[in-house]
Amino acid sequence: MTRMLDVSGLKASYGPVQVLHGIDFHVDEGETVVILGANGAGKTTTLRAISGMIDTSGSARLRDGELIGKNPSDVVRLGVAHVPQGRGTFPELTVEDNLDVGAYTRKDNDVDADKKKWFETYPVLYDRRNQTAGSLSGGEQQMLAVARALMARPQLLLLDEPSLGLAPIIVSDLFERFSTLNDESGTTLLIVEQNAQLALSIADRGYVLESGEISAQGPAKDLLNDDSIRKAYLGV
Amino acid sequence: MAVKQLAVGSSQYKIYKTVVFALLFIGIVLVAFAFNDVGQLTLFDNNYNLSLTRISKAIAFIIAILGLQVIVGYTGQVALGQSFFFGLGAYVTAYLVQDQNWGYLTTLAVVVPVCFVIGVLLGLPALRISGLYLALVTLAIAAIFPSIIRLDQLFDYTNGSNGKIVDSDIVAPSWLPLDGTANVLQAIPYFGQFFGDGDLSDREADRIWKYFLFVAVAAVCFWLVANLIQSRPGRAMRAIRDNEASAAVSGIDLARTKSMAFGIGSALGGVGGTVYVMELGIASPDDFTQLLAINFIVGLVVGGVASLPGAVVGGFVIALIPDWASSTQSIGFVPERWLQGPTGTLFLGALLILLTFFLPGGIVAGGQKLKAKFVRLVPQPPENTTTSTAMTSAKVVDDKDDDDVDLDANERANQVQTT
Amino acid sequence: MDFQLLLARLFDGLANGSTYAMVALALVIIFKATTLINFAQGEMAMLGAFIAYTAWFNFGIPMWGAVILAILLSALLAAGIERTLIRPFDPADHLPLVIITLGLFLGINSLAGLIWKLDPLRFPELFPSGNAISWGTARLSWYTVFTVGTILFSLVFLTLLLNKTKVGLAFRAVSSNLESSQLVGIKVGSTLQFGWALAAGVGTLGACVFAANPVLSLDPSYMLRVLIFASAAAALGGLDSLWGALVGGLAVGFVQSVVVQYIPWVPNQMSLAAAAVVLIAVLLFRPAGIFGTAQVSRV
Repeated sequence: MTRMLDVSGLKASYGPVQVLHGIDFHVDEGETVVILGANGAGKTTTLRAISGMIDTSGSARLRDGELIGKNPSDVVRLGVAHVPQGRGTFPELTVEDNLDVGAYTRKDNDVDADKKKWFETYPVLYDRRNQTAGSLSGGEQQMLAVARALMARPQLLLLDEPSLGLAPIIVSDLFERFSTLNDESGTTLLIVEQNAQLALSIADRGYVLESGEISAQGPAKDLLNDDSIRKAYLGV
Repeated sequence: MAVKQLAVGSSQYKIYKTVVFALLFIGIVLVAFAFNDVGQLTLFDNNYNLSLTRISKAIAFIIAILGLQVIVGYTGQVALGQSFFFGLGAYVTAYLVQDQNWGYLTTLAVVVPVCFVIGVLLGLPALRISGLYLALVTLAIAAIFPSIIRLDQLFDYTNGSNGKIVDSDIVAPSWLPLDGTANVLQAIPYFGQFFGDGDLSDREADRIWKYFLFVAVAAVCFWLVANLIQSRPGRAMRAIRDNEASAAVSGIDLARTKSMAFGIGSALGGVGGTVYVMELGIASPDDFTQLLAINFIVGLVVGGVASLPGAVVGGFVIALIPDWASSTQSIGFVPERWLQGPTGTLFLGALLILLTFFLPGGIVAGGQKLKAKFVRLVPQPPENTTTSTAMTSAKVVDDKDDDDVDLDANERANQVQTT
Repeated sequence: MDFQLLLARLFDGLANGSTYAMVALALVIIFKATTLINFAQGEMAMLGAFIAYTAWFNFGIPMWGAVILAILLSALLAAGIERTLIRPFDPADHLPLVIITLGLFLGINSLAGLIWKLDPLRFPELFPSGNAISWGTARLSWYTVFTVGTILFSLVFLTLLLNKTKVGLAFRAVSSNLESSQLVGIKVGSTLQFGWALAAGVGTLGACVFAANPVLSLDPSYMLRVLIFASAAAALGGLDSLWGALVGGLAVGFVQSVVVQYIPWVPNQMSLAAAAVVLIAVLLFRPAGIFGTAQVSRV
């Protein structure tokens, strides 16, 4: 099992406020890893740090390449795709444009073939391919955002709170698809979520982030069964 | 050299302030007599004029820029239309003095309310739009002022493109010891030669008297604005500048405060215009175009946004630089051909850009950094050390907004400076 | 109503309106990319026209070649300006950016005055002279026809560029969602530079066409007036709509030539004021303009 992402001593601040106090975690190839935590714990910050969106110190190695210190467009070219919180679609662009833009960094000839594949996987996107992304429902936008990210054929997919703002039925469907994605194409997933139950049900391993520090970690099943986790995050 | 710390409110501070103002007063008087005739600085074979006329013009600009400090500096509204009110004040005064035989300063009783009201009206867009859009709109308003003056319907009042000449004289009162002061200053060894020769002619005396009037008007304006800033409405304005959403949520009436800021700022613009026409004796439409509006902004920025002393610096800069730039016929190796034309404007444009990069707080902020090496004003420590922390911090916050409004310029500078 | 006179005025409006539309187009391009209004846009366009003039007059380059050269040079200059003067600043804080573009305005305006002095210059006629349609006093000059043609050509070119090319896609992406653009690997800085360069090129073309008007000469003082008209046009059409710039420009042109003439109590001098009123009214009541997308208002 090769290590896909190895993070150590990651620190991040917004101005004078330090949000991450030096965290360590890793993701192996083909795994689905989940980072849980309440609002303000630093989950989104973690992903943004990896993507190069904010100033950070510490180390985040993607296979052998160091990500920290690179700007976002370089990070993408190294094989990381990030679906930000709130979907991050391009509202004025059409659905098809959104997919095209996802493949921006690719230089090969298979872009159209990939687009077709995603249209088949998500037929609703095909139906709406000429509509502006902003006119799609929340769930559809989330699908679009994931498809867009995958158009880049990334090695590592970062998902920031994909369940946020979506109805429960849509969310279950969504996570089922994530699970399938991971199984079929072997894409490595790092998901950051508040919805602990659902996230842990499809994950291999999980970490719990509290106030910028890792407070618990382990196989997903263990976390699901852990009493303190259940009390704090699963409302049990 | 150790930094001397002065606690605001202490007796040391009061002495410091008194000395500063006294020096200022003496300086103003000296300037009146020294530059009464045409003073000249000579640098690199270039003659730079510095006369009382020019200084009076600068004072007019200073008052207008003070108005901008209120609107832009303290309330954060990007308003570029000050030349409109400057021109309005000038024309209203010109009309009342020339056609209705009013006294110059009496016209302020009309100029101030008129400019205030129109300022509030033209500030209405600011209630819905902000930033660049407001800048654009106010610039457009400034641009149409000359067109309004040239309207045929208003010709009887404004004299259209010909400009309105005002030939009412201001005569120095006889009880003022101007001759006496001049003689005393001339008697000073060595420096006496700079104060002219013999008694003052009538014209010179009148000019000095006018200058003192202008300084008085300006001083009143400064005093009013300084008090405004520290008052409740003033704090409301600054709250809006710093974070409009928070200000609204804190219960500040945005519409009322912004309107007030526009009204006061525009009224000051009008006062500046009155001073201008008092000095110049003529109001013509092309003096009040959008270029003047931009110049005012230049003065605001160069002097220091949200800094009262900055208005003084800014006013002098825009009054003197364009003229001095065209007086510059030769600087060493620069070919003469390059120096003919609007070099002043070029210099100002470059200055704006450089300042935004390196010294966002304007020249005054730069000066303060220098002053901080020698004297620093600190909040007064609480008398009773057993007061609760809440009281202490409240006092500190209050003192921050207190007398030394220069601190605001630094705040602003920190905000403006971004990477 | 004298129909011929109306037609004559309509044709006038068409010519002026097309020029405003071109400068408006430049404003819209920059606005789309950066949500910034470039106060120096008019001056940059004028500088381009002066460069074209110099290339033609002093260096003997044929007219249209000079124009194309000027377009390229002004695009380069604009890219440089974006890189050095605009990019260092936070796009959300408007005051420094307003000041910088004002500084540019002053700087370019005075630079032009210094280099080319202040006498108006005769710009070469880019289009055949004479009239396409002559009906009594109503004349539709070839100049007007070609001016409209130029802007239509520009619009088609821009639409194709933005919708069919990769760089156009990047531009549209940046204009839609800056953060996500970074996340798909678009180099935002270069894209913005491209936007500035494009706007400058369009502006220069517009200024050259404007100056080529047989009844006008090239004069540094024109451009601020044009800027205000163009801003009104851009706002009316929708600050982020390219075709809106055309509609807005023509509308402003018509308001200036036709409406102002026919409303008795609005004298000639007030056409600039009319444009200002249009600008204010649009920004107050319908900030998105006719074709723009909402979210343009920034309260």
